[in-house]
Amino acid sequence: MKLNIKINGKPKDFDVAPNTLLLNLVRDDMDLTGTKYGCGIGECGACTVHMDGLAVLACMVLAVDADGHEVDTIEGLSDGTELHPIQQSYLDEGAVQCGFCTPGFIMSTKALLEETPSPSEREIREYLNGNLCRCTGYVNIVKAVQAAAEQMK
Amino acid sequence: MPNINIHNTHIISDFEYYAPETLQEASKLLKELGKDAAALAGGTEVIVKMKEGSRRPKHIVNLKKIPGLSGIKETSDGIEIGALTTIREIETSPLIKEKYPILYQSAKVLGSVQIRNRATVGGNICNASPCADTAVGLLSAEGVAHISGPDGERKVPLVDFFLGPGRTVLAPGEILTSITVPKMAPNSKSTFNRVARASMDLATISLGAVATMKNGVVDDVKLAWGTVAPTPMRTKDVEEFLKGKKLTDEVINETAELASKSIKPREKGRSNGPYKRRVAKGFIVETLSKLRES
Amino acid sequence: MITKTVHEVLGKDTVRSDGLAKVTGREKFTSDLYLRNMLHVRVLKSSHAHAEVVKIDASGAEELGATVLTVDEVPDVKFCPRLVSTPDSTFKDWSVLTDHPRYVGEAIAAVAAETEGDAQKALEAIKVEYKTHSAYFDPLTAYEPGSEPIHEQILLEDTVVKPERNVACEVHITEGDVDAALEDCDVILERTYTTNRRYHTQLETKSVVVRPEIDGGVTIWSTTQTLHNSRLLLHEIFGLPMGKIRIVKVPLGGSFGSSIQVNTVTPIAVAMALKTKRPVKLTYTREEDAHDHVSYGMVFKIKLGVKNDGKLVAGHLDAYLDIGAHQIQAYPLLGCMVGWWVSLYKLDAKSYDSYAIYTNKTPACAFRGYGNPQISWMVETMMDELAEKIDMDPVEFRLKNIIGQGDLFWGQGPSVKSLIKSCGTEEILAKGAELIGWDDRPKAEDQMGRYRRGIGMGRGFHTSSAGAPVPSKVVDFSGAIIKLNEDGTIDYITALMDHGGGTEDAHAKIVAETLCVPLENVNIIRADTSTTVYDVCTHASRGIYSGGGAALKVAKQLKEQIAQFAGRMLDAEGSALTFRCDDEKKQGVIYAEGIENREVTFKELAYNARHKNWGTPAVVDSYRQPACPPHFTGYFIEVEVDTWTGKIRLVKVVAGADVGTVINPKLAMGQVHGGFAQGWSMTTMEDMVYNHDTGDLVNKGMLTDYKIPYASDMPDLEDFTVFFADTYEPTGPYGAKGLGEGALNPVAGAIANAIQNALGIRFYKLPLTKERVLAAIMEKEGQ
Repeated sequence: MKLNIKINGKPKDFDVAPNTLLLNLVRDDMDLTGTKYGCGIGECGACTVHMDGLAVLACMVLAVDADGHEVDTIEGLSDGTELHPIQQSYLDEGAVQCGFCTPGFIMSTKALLEETPSPSEREIREYLNGNLCRCTGYVNIVKAVQAAAEQMK
Repeated sequence: MPNINIHNTHIISDFEYYAPETLQEASKLLKELGKDAAALAGGTEVIVKMKEGSRRPKHIVNLKKIPGLSGIKETSDGIEIGALTTIREIETSPLIKEKYPILYQSAKVLGSVQIRNRATVGGNICNASPCADTAVGLLSAEGVAHISGPDGERKVPLVDFFLGPGRTVLAPGEILTSITVPKMAPNSKSTFNRVARASMDLATISLGAVATMKNGVVDDVKLAWGTVAPTPMRTKDVEEFLKGKKLTDEVINETAELASKSIKPREKGRSNGPYKRRVAKGFIVETLSKLRES
Repeated sequence: MITKTVHEVLGKDTVRSDGLAKVTGREKFTSDLYLRNMLHVRVLKSSHAHAEVVKIDASGAEELGATVLTVDEVPDVKFCPRLVSTPDSTFKDWSVLTDHPRYVGEAIAAVAAETEGDAQKALEAIKVEYKTHSAYFDPLTAYEPGSEPIHEQILLEDTVVKPERNVACEVHITEGDVDAALEDCDVILERTYTTNRRYHTQLETKSVVVRPEIDGGVTIWSTTQTLHNSRLLLHEIFGLPMGKIRIVKVPLGGSFGSSIQVNTVTPIAVAMALKTKRPVKLTYTREEDAHDHVSYGMVFKIKLGVKNDGKLVAGHLDAYLDIGAHQIQAYPLLGCMVGWWVSLYKLDAKSYDSYAIYTNKTPACAFRGYGNPQISWMVETMMDELAEKIDMDPVEFRLKNIIGQGDLFWGQGPSVKSLIKSCGTEEILAKGAELIGWDDRPKAEDQMGRYRRGIGMGRGFHTSSAGAPVPSKVVDFSGAIIKLNEDGTIDYITALMDHGGGTEDAHAKIVAETLCVPLENVNIIRADTSTTVYDVCTHASRGIYSGGGAALKVAKQLKEQIAQFAGRMLDAEGSALTFRCDDEKKQGVIYAEGIENREVTFKELAYNARHKNWGTPAVVDSYRQPACPPHFTGYFIEVEVDTWTGKIRLVKVVAGADVGTVINPKLAMGQVHGGFAQGWSMTTMEDMVYNHDTGDLVNKGMLTDYKIPYASDMPDLEDFTVFFADTYEPTGPYGAKGLGEGALNPVAGAIANAIQNALGIRFYKLPLTKERVLAAIMEKEGQ
């Protein structure tokens, strides 16, 4: 099936079988491996990307459903020269341990702050309940989100 | 003996893919393809079932190219929600939060933000899981399912829509197009109670309640339960009992007793009958106490 | 000129060096790697808990173009995948593939195909004929006399051993006369405790990529906590010379002990790569991963005796471990567990009988704490119950009996004892009690309503590595390489793996502190087995104490070399020169104190050494730690129990930790937060339960039915306080000790004690699910 998806701002043509998942498309076809496979069934959020600005789980979206849409992955936030404030605050607050869940969390955080620029702690935690972290216990992550919100005002 | 080797949550099996652009086309396709076909809305249930290996549809009919199946609009009798409306759209709708709060409450607990951004109210209802949160909310709001099929259109009140876990009254080729909910009394109160293992989890037991008081007594009440029976259910006997009664402590406790006997949870298992009955009582007491206070 | 004094780098929060790659999604974990011409491998897993494979018909798979690997194509070698113990205490009962699967999920064959979809289809096309045997799911049932053996024979080093009553190994220890001592006791308590079987749920599933080289060697990227043990094991299994086995260091997406052993994926992938002569990749799906490893479930029968004045006197412990179908490290675990038990509080006499028992379930492996979370849960709740019986305050009771400063403790079992040289327990208990409001804590009998509050505490420790002055049955040493680059920066190379805690950054800080260079001038080099010296493994909370100790050792030696070179350049006495860090020049500077214009930067020195052909200042050395000093922790927790649902809510958590010198405060706190979250979920949420009819996990390995905490399950920021005790460990690099496991160990006990304070009910079985809590409440009400 021929698809055209705008990935991190650049339109790209694909030719894939209909059972291709968006997660595997970005990882295998484009080597955008920042988006991770953690569970495949929506429990861990490690595959969080934005589709038309909404946070979604790439492991549960068919690539064909992204045809004609915009998909943003973690790689689109920065090429390494200048970090997005959310990325910087995750670093500064010690919110990164093994780092496997980090891209998913950052993408969820970005969606949160775009919808709610000054979230309360409860709102932060509730919004991030779609992302699992086994290392940090979430404390430094919440602090990072608060710091980023402050920075982005 | 189940074959452990068919599970693969990383990829899904092959299928023929269709994306009809009209309801008629979709109905025709689904009827022709029969049991080997699955309708695809948000994908949060179908794709998961495929990964778990419990379903391997040979055909997938994507409904999302059909116009007019999404959106929330006020009607003269109440509200109409297109079947492809996402749970997140319901959750964030100011109209729903203000006038149909039970729908807001039962939508926001479903999965996570990411899941709600894709999951649709139609999918939640048609998958007919006994723990479907939004279905429970709609049930307590007396929602009506609007169905379109090869033989025309029909309406089925949600309370008659579910037949068993994963089974609904939809005949081959029939598609849920929208749900209507009658206007809610402005002085009605809604609560949604739920208990689970973690903050993002399927409900172990849930209760959606919508009630109105008049002259100090219960005028009307609807109680819909999740995960206490093979399908989401109403406890009409309990509702009948409460009508016209004053909410004294005795009445509240008696209602709790009645409710715990009315639900039909499995007796054995990790979360069993005795547990759910006790929690059900607690939900009723909490709900009715709040009602009394307001 | 700006100068820095010593201890400026340590103790400061710095951004971790791998952080940039991680937050930008550019960090490549094993599961992200891709090689051209690569084949995808999938493992054919047994659908039966105990069976023999009579026949495999792989024709269907081969017709689809897949390569199939069967048991007769892999080396017929019995091994233990974990090589931390010395050979004389290493039991071997694993094979690469088996025709006698002993748990659902065990690998009986493998396929390789061009795409994952093809590999999956090939897998499903294979037909297997099994002859099933009866299976055991409960260790005490497997242990009954007359039970069917799960393993007829296994190896201990090279000796054949025939397990009886499915006992894989056992440890018995006695010190003193327990029966006599108990006679002196005023109160004796006997209890049985049963723990849960927890799955690590590390975010990255086990993965491996293997590239076969033209000379018959292999290059391997894998999820591992030990590069060198991986190489050692593969050499043992495949017979390849070690120089031809190159294990490359790749970041690890969490582990918590599940990759101390070489994971099952690795030898299978190596065999497939050697067969197909093409690069291969094997990544477990989440459900495969959940069938692959799990923590040890334990049953304890404990007897403790105490005097009315609060002195703990003696005890006996029977421990039964459910180790699943194969041994990974059951034998050393049994030894460690008695060490954990008797090192918490003084016991004049103690006896211990322990058995590791086979069952037909996922093989168990270490999970953060290595038996200490389970033991601490048991001991800390016993201590509370004993305190109640003698009518003494629980904190006071503990203080009367703790093993602390100046005391002897059993590091990793009885053969390795050392003296405690730093201990912050008293400080932790005092401050923790104050912060939680210990003196005003609730009483269960005074509470009537729906919500009941309770405050409980638990304390514990863990060793920092398994070091000692003498060798023991546990290999534990580290090594590092350090060198000066021409630009004045330092390359620091270690085989030690960082699986999230930031340990490599801690090493870099130790190096920077020692050499007086800016932190950013220390390059942490990711290397492989060929370019590093041996480090045993990142486990036992040894990353800083042992790995950092090695970093310190080589840094000191490099400093000497640099000083000598500087002496030559400055016409001075090398060992009399001083080092300082120059922020403006962004260089380390060596100078003659008090004398003007006798100084040289690292960069100038390095260039000069090159031009004058003096050689590269460089050091390679190993470090054996003299001890394994305990790091101490304590938790004071307030909970609220909803007696209508059995749900427990965390109201307030106070955590104190004694880690010696804190090297990176935010990351150290992160260890406590993470350890607490795991402890909470160990206590209330996790259990890998089996369906005895199908022999498979009830949840089939799906995370939908294995819940761990999300952000809202944890207390709010203002309700979670962490503090560090003011201590200094003289044997640790700059006074530092470990932290990773101590952060978890006492949590379950503290929570259980808090619940007891709220409800007046004690639980002896984990997890404390809402159903169990509510059932206990209902039972109590019924009385």
